[in-house]
Amino acid sequence: MLKIKDLVKTYGKFVAVNNLNLEIPQGEIYGFVGPNGAGKTTTMKIISGLLTATSGEVMVDNVDVTRNSRKIKESIGYMPDFFGVYDDLKVTEYLDFYASIYKIKEKERKKITDDLLELVDLSNKRESYVDSLSRGMKQRLCLARSLIHNPKLLILDEPASGLDPRARVEMKEILRNLKDMGKTILISSHILSELAELCTHIGIIDNGKMVISGSVSEIMQQVYSSRVIKLKVNDKLEQAEMVLKEFPNIDKITLGENTIQAGFEGSDQDMSRILATLVTRGIPVVTFSQLDGNLEDVFMKVTRGGEVQ
Amino acid sequence: MNINPVLLKEAKVRMRGWRAAGIVALYLVILALVTIFVAYDSYNNIYSSTIDPGRSVGTYSALAVIQFILILFIAPALTAGAISGEREKQTLDLLLCTKLPTRSIILGKLVASISQIILLIIASLPVFSVIFMFGGISIAEIAQLFMFYIITAIAAGSIGIFYSSHMKKTTASTVLTYGTGAFMILGTLFIAWIYMGIFRDNNYKEIFPLLYANPLVGFVSLISEQFGGQGSLAGFLPGIGRTYTGTTKGMSPWIINLIFDGALTVLLITLSARKINPVKRKISIFKKKKI
Ligand SMILES: Nc1ncnc2c1ncn2[C@@H]1O[C@H](COP(=O)(O)OP(=O)(O)OP(=O)(O)O)[C@@H](O)[C@H]1O
Ligand SMILES: [Mg+2]
Repeated sequence: MLKIKDLVKTYGKFVAVNNLNLEIPQGEIYGFVGPNGAGKTTTMKIISGLLTATSGEVMVDNVDVTRNSRKIKESIGYMPDFFGVYDDLKVTEYLDFYASIYKIKEKERKKITDDLLELVDLSNKRESYVDSLSRGMKQRLCLARSLIHNPKLLILDEPASGLDPRARVEMKEILRNLKDMGKTILISSHILSELAELCTHIGIIDNGKMVISGSVSEIMQQVYSSRVIKLKVNDKLEQAEMVLKEFPNIDKITLGENTIQAGFEGSDQDMSRILATLVTRGIPVVTFSQLDGNLEDVFMKVTRGGEVQ
Repeated sequence: MNINPVLLKEAKVRMRGWRAAGIVALYLVILALVTIFVAYDSYNNIYSSTIDPGRSVGTYSALAVIQFILILFIAPALTAGAISGEREKQTLDLLLCTKLPTRSIILGKLVASISQIILLIIASLPVFSVIFMFGGISIAEIAQLFMFYIITAIAAGSIGIFYSSHMKKTTASTVLTYGTGAFMILGTLFIAWIYMGIFRDNNYKEIFPLLYANPLVGFVSLISEQFGGQGSLAGFLPGIGRTYTGTTKGMSPWIINLIFDGALTVLLITLSARKINPVKRKISIFKKKKI
């Protein structure tokens, strides 16, 4: 559906997007994660036809976006990270305006508008003026606006930024609905964990470069390849520590009152071998567990690495 | 038929509430006051109770001048923020990411503003009809004058749109628009004046070419022509008065001025549409030959 090849965007000498490659198959949700200034917005604007690339190729449905930009725009719905609304327009008029741009027939407009307002849960605000809506409502309205021409591909630039926790959950719910409707979605965020449960694929971008990309399970594997184990013993804390130190894939051991935390790299088998050894050595293990692999840790590790270069 | 969606939306928003009606009312009050003032003044001067067509000619030109000045001030104000305002409100990207061609955005904005001007002009008809009662002015002449207004307003509006699409801020665009307007009216006159002072004697019977771009020169030439080439207004413009002593043949300056306005409008609209288009094609003369 969307294919980006060797995309480069420079502002003067500054390279905002540096040889970016990305592919989203039909019907997938791709999470685009990166710190501030990573180049997410720049990439998304290029896809949506609001910026021209310095070099490289962006294909939507096998058509180059620069070749036939008006045609392509019919199959893309774009929601910018920052946007404004017109004052002096009511919610229905606002959607009606964008519908008229796509030459949607007057008869169909009402039904489409109703359905979209239903989808983003703004049906009770249809007669309100758009500039009187709260930020979260405006965001949902803007999402509805980007859906007005029933695009196949959605480009959503931080749709959940600035929303309260409840609104975030609601936004996620809407996006899940869109996924069920078969839309292909590219969605950006600063927060990896926010996207992990929603997306099928994730790409982490830093300094204009893709650092890691792959399916969510692949990313998770990378996360869990460096996990933290936590051990609670009744007694013999020092002996337990000695045992752990024998394993080469364990490091950063920290001792608590009767707990041990340690960094561990390896497979599940390696981990069960450690437990077996502890038990056969007569250590009274109470619990032996793995701390939840923290996505943010990976994010920090991966992106900071980029900065050092 | 498909009406330009931007035009439709602008019309809806601009006509909403009391603002549009307020502007028309204010405009009419100014026009009416001026008319009463001028008419009253000419009554007192002539000390006559009979209706005199000459007097209505004076009122007509005064009214025409005031309306002309008002239009020159209002038209750029309506367009100088058209695109930069969208940029400032962060709504421009939402328009540009749709399939709407940039030319339609520019034209929609321009036509919406010009419609507002036309509304003002039409609203001023009752005021003009007062002169009509006195005689001396024909409907054809008023139609001619109104056409001149509208085309001038379109050109002035295009200048506003042009700067609005090239500048980030509406204030910058407004300043440049009025600056350009001032140059076209006063600057060209000044240059013509210096040129004549240095290079020409009093027998020079032509118009300095730069003045064809001057809307005021066009306006004065129109009014003087309507009065059979003896208008007193013409006297103070360099080159113009002499033209209308009846020696020069060829196209009237106001017609040339309107043609210039038309060409300028087409050029500025094209440049504006190109400017706001994010995916510009390189202009290539050879492109068409390849196909
Ligand atoms: N018009 C511009 N001129 C110069 N540099 C720019 C311009 N637009 C963006 N940049 C630079 O390009 C880089 C990438 O910006 P971009 O907005 O794509 O980042 P982002 O990943 O969206 O960040 P954020 O998470 O803060 O939204 C930044 O360093 C920014 O300073
Ligand atoms: Mg951004």
